[in-house]
This record gives sequence, structure tokens and C-alpha cells, in this order.
Amino acid sequence: MTTARTAERPAAQTFFLPDFCAPPTVLAVVLIAGLVGLVVTLVRPTSPTMFWTQLAGASLYLLWLGLTCSAVLCRARPYLQRMSIRRANLIALTLLLVTIAIVAEAVYQVGQLWGHAGNDVIASFFPQQHSSFLLRSIAVGFIVSGAALRYFHVSAEWKHTIQLEALARIHALQARIRPHFLFNSMNTIAALTRSSPKHAEQAVEDLADLFRATLSEANARITLQEEFEIARTHQRIEQLRLGERLQVQWDIDALPPRALVPSLIVQPLLENAVYHGVETLPEGGTVTITGRHNGDVLHIEVRNPIAESTHEPARPGNHMALTNIRERLELAWPQRASVDTWLEGREFCARLTFPYAAADSGHGDTLPAGRLRP
Amino acid sequence: MKLLIVDDEAPARERLRALVQELDDCEVLGEADTGERALALCSQLHPDAVLLDMRMPGMSGLQVARHITAMEHPPAVIFTTAYDSYAVEAFETEAMGYLLKPVRKEKLAHALRHAARLSATRLTRIAETARIEPRRQQICARLGEQLRLIPVSDIFYFFAEQKYVTVHHRHGANLIDEPLKALAEEFAPDFLRIHRNALVAEKFIAAVERSAAGHYVVRMRECDAALEVSRRHSAELLRRIRGESL
Repeated sequence: MTTARTAERPAAQTFFLPDFCAPPTVLAVVLIAGLVGLVVTLVRPTSPTMFWTQLAGASLYLLWLGLTCSAVLCRARPYLQRMSIRRANLIALTLLLVTIAIVAEAVYQVGQLWGHAGNDVIASFFPQQHSSFLLRSIAVGFIVSGAALRYFHVSAEWKHTIQLEALARIHALQARIRPHFLFNSMNTIAALTRSSPKHAEQAVEDLADLFRATLSEANARITLQEEFEIARTHQRIEQLRLGERLQVQWDIDALPPRALVPSLIVQPLLENAVYHGVETLPEGGTVTITGRHNGDVLHIEVRNPIAESTHEPARPGNHMALTNIRERLELAWPQRASVDTWLEGREFCARLTFPYAAADSGHGDTLPAGRLRP
Repeated sequence: MKLLIVDDEAPARERLRALVQELDDCEVLGEADTGERALALCSQLHPDAVLLDMRMPGMSGLQVARHITAMEHPPAVIFTTAYDSYAVEAFETEAMGYLLKPVRKEKLAHALRHAARLSATRLTRIAETARIEPRRQQICARLGEQLRLIPVSDIFYFFAEQKYVTVHHRHGANLIDEPLKALAEEFAPDFLRIHRNALVAEKFIAAVERSAAGHYVVRMRECDAALEVSRRHSAELLRRIRGESL
């Protein structure tokens, strides 16, 4: 039994911390240090004469802090990348606080050495109270570092989602209609126009419905009932072509028909089951579609028989549909949905697992149920 | 022109039949929904041309065509396919007649006018370009008017005597019309040439023994045959057998 799991995100490419050795990041750090220095000086009540001295002192101190922290993060990044996101965040924060403490202590010590030279200007550059200065530095450092890390994390997530969405859109376009299916259906319709115009008419209507469904928004949510209707439309067209060879057994009464799912998650599985399974068997076979409802989780399983020994290489494109469904489920329910496939003897099984999201009354259906015949 | 229509899908056959009936001096002799039935009908009805679907369950169109070329009076073959970019590329490079489904009447008429017989080597080249396994899974033997398909996995060995080649298999022995050399090439790693006149299935070799006369003899499993190994092929055979046991 071989199981293919939903692919995890590639950690190295989407690591949330930016590269602190890169010139643009260093420039950003310098600018932010300058700005924070300005803010700190502005809020402090001082005489106008002292303003510039204090601004220079604060900026210089913050610049030192910023650059040292950047250097530390730059060095630590390769190690942090290998950790889980939670751990990397914790360790990065600890590293930053330790660095801030060391720099603050160093600045205080330097101030102790030079600050008593008698020059007021120089003395005002340096902190006077040891522990309060250290504590204030660490507290401010904690808040700023925490906010920065949170920001990096959120923006990385956002980038990742955008990438996923773009990928899903491309793959959806590629996976939507298999040319093989389209041309075979056209051929069937061409034959039926002569022998059975009624069936031909129905096939054209079904094909139109199927295309309409595949042309709808890639990330549109529809109800399970609508999704099953799309799959049944597909089944009707294939039935005309394959006749008795194709049997489909539906066991989906356990599923809530109003549950919301991304469109086209079941139909491609049925299409695969026909293309890679039933169609390759001279005697045909039965596709079983089973639905289960487990607390808040829904399962849909599609099983189909496959040829005993396929001497021909596997038909190409078998992973396109699965990859596409996986991506769109991941997009809809990050980390909470999965697509598993395995072989059980001479049967191929694909199982979708995803959380139950009921359609609320306000939700406008992307695909009116009336358009698809039950 | 007498035609045989081969396609696993009923509507596809129905449509081709309707189109052929509209053409002058063309008639449909029969229809087959599998490769096996197609070959049986071919040897019974002797069509001039076969309209052959590429993608069928079990024996593919290309395999059927391969068997057809081995017939005494092979009919011309025109492949039909709904969508297969590799196969189309192969037909184009080999300048082969093919039809895309849904088939147009004019194209069908044109293809029938230019229908030609195929050679086995050409089919092998097509299989390569089309990325389809060119090896047959069955060997076709003629018994008078009847065709008999022998699964390659049941074959013990091929033996050449004068003009003919005999296939010895689980259910007896049959004469076939194919040269040993071509068979050796097609079934290369699984079948070993041990003599100018013998090609044996490696999996049925029980033992290689040395006879009193000093040459090697292959003893076969499941059949009471002992086949002489020629000097020329003995080194290769021994290397293969030893490599297996190591």
C-alpha cells in the first residue's frame, strides 16, 4: 500500500525571515533605526537646544543596535531555516534580546569610561542609570523585535498564499478538460446525431453544463450537491460512449448536501477513474464513490479497478488532476485538508479529507443548481 | 473496397459505418470491439482495409496492426484516434494514413484511397515515437483459416526448421510466419538466442548441461525439451545464466 500525502511547503524557499545580509534589507534597517531614533527623541520632553544632541545619540545607539541585530540574524538564518517556524521565531527573539542586552551594556560601559571627561555634550550622549537603561533597552527591543518577527511571518504567509493561488489557477486551467474526453465526447455526439438525436441533444446540454462548471471561478465554493451533479453530468456523457462497461455506484447519503467545497474536486476523480481504470479494461468495471461524515470532517473516496498489468507506460497526466485538487483544498483549508491515493490489489483509491463547512443562507451559489439536471 | 471497423466504443463504430456507407464502392464487412475479435474477423473475412482505433483496452491498436502485418495477405491499416499528440507525431513522420475522431467524410475517403499496407519495422518506429510499448503480448499463429493468439508469457521457445518457425508453448506447438531474427530483436531481454535455429524463454530454462560430445545443452522447464547450444552463443548464454545465479 503506497500513500501519497499532501506535499508540505518547501521551507527554504518561503522562509519568513528576509536575508539580513542583502543591501536592501540593511538599508531598511538603517532607515528604521533613524526613524525610531527620531520618534524616541520627539516624545522626550527636552529643551530645543538639547534636541539635536539627543537625536544624534539616540539614532547612533539605535543604528548600532539595528546593525548588530541584522548581523546576528544574517548569521543565524541558515540554522533557523532548518527549524519549525515556531521554534525559529522563539530562538530569533531570544537571540535579538541577548544581542540588545550586550550592546546596551557595552554602550553603558563606554559611557562610564568616556562620559566623565567633563564635556556635557559627550556625557549627554551616554546613559547614566545602569539598570534602568538596560531594562528599557530590552523592553523596547522586545516589543520592536516581536512586532518585526510577526510582520515577517504574516507577509511570508501572504506571499505563500498568493503563490499557491497563482499556481492553482494555472493548474486549474490545464486540468479542467482533458482533450481526450472532449474529442471522444464530440465523436459520440457526431454518431448520436444520426442514430438518436434525442440522446445527442442531451449530450450537448451535458457537455455545455460541464464546460460552464469548469469555466467558473477557480476558487469558487459550491455545495457538495452541486459538485455531485457536475460529476453525474460527466458520468452521463461517458455512459453514452462506454455503455454497459461503465458502472458507477454512488454511496454519498452520509454527506451533508449543503457542505461547501471548492468546485471540481469530485468530477476530476471520476474522470481519472474512467480514463485510467474502466476504459482500459475490456470488460469495463465499477467506480465506487463513497462519502463519510466523521464529526467535523468529511471524507470522499473514489475507487476504480485497474488493468492487471499495464505493459504500456501509465497514461500521462495522471497527477495533474490530483495535484490540482490538492492545491485547491490546501488553499481552502490550509493544513486541514488532504488527498490520499493508494493501490489496493487491483483497485486504485483516492480519498479526499476536508472539514465540514456548511453553506450559510447568505451565500450566493456560483452555479445555480437548476442548470444541472439531477 | 471491403472494410473492417475496429473500435471499443459502440458510437464510434456506428458513426464510421454510417460514413463508409455514404461512400461509393465501399462496404463494411464487419465490426470488432476488441483487438482479439478484430484479428479473428480479419482472417475470416479478408478485408481490404482495417479502420483501427489506437486506444483500446487489452490489445492496443498498434499491437493489432503488428499481428496484421504477420498475416499472409495483410489488409491495409488506417489508424483512428480521438486525441494522442505522440501518436499523431508518429503518423506524420512515417507518412501514415490516420484519422482524427470525429472523422470527416472527405478525410475518410482520402485515407481509403491512399491506404497502404504496413511493415513491422515501420510499426516499431511508430511505437517508439508514439511512446507505446512495441512488444507484442501475444504471438499470432494461423491454423488454416483460424487465427490463434499465443500469450508470449506461455512460450517456451521458438525453433526454426527450414522455412518455418515453430512456437512451442504451454498448450502445444504452432507454425508461425515470422523470421527468428525479428522475434529475437522484439523479445530481446526475455528470450535468448542459443543457436541459429533456437530462441528460448529465459524463465523456462531449467539447466544448462554439458553433453558427452562436449557441447552445451539447455534443458527446459515444464516441457521435455533439450536444445543444443551452438558454440557461438554458448559464452553469452553462460554469462547470462551465471549472472542470474550470482
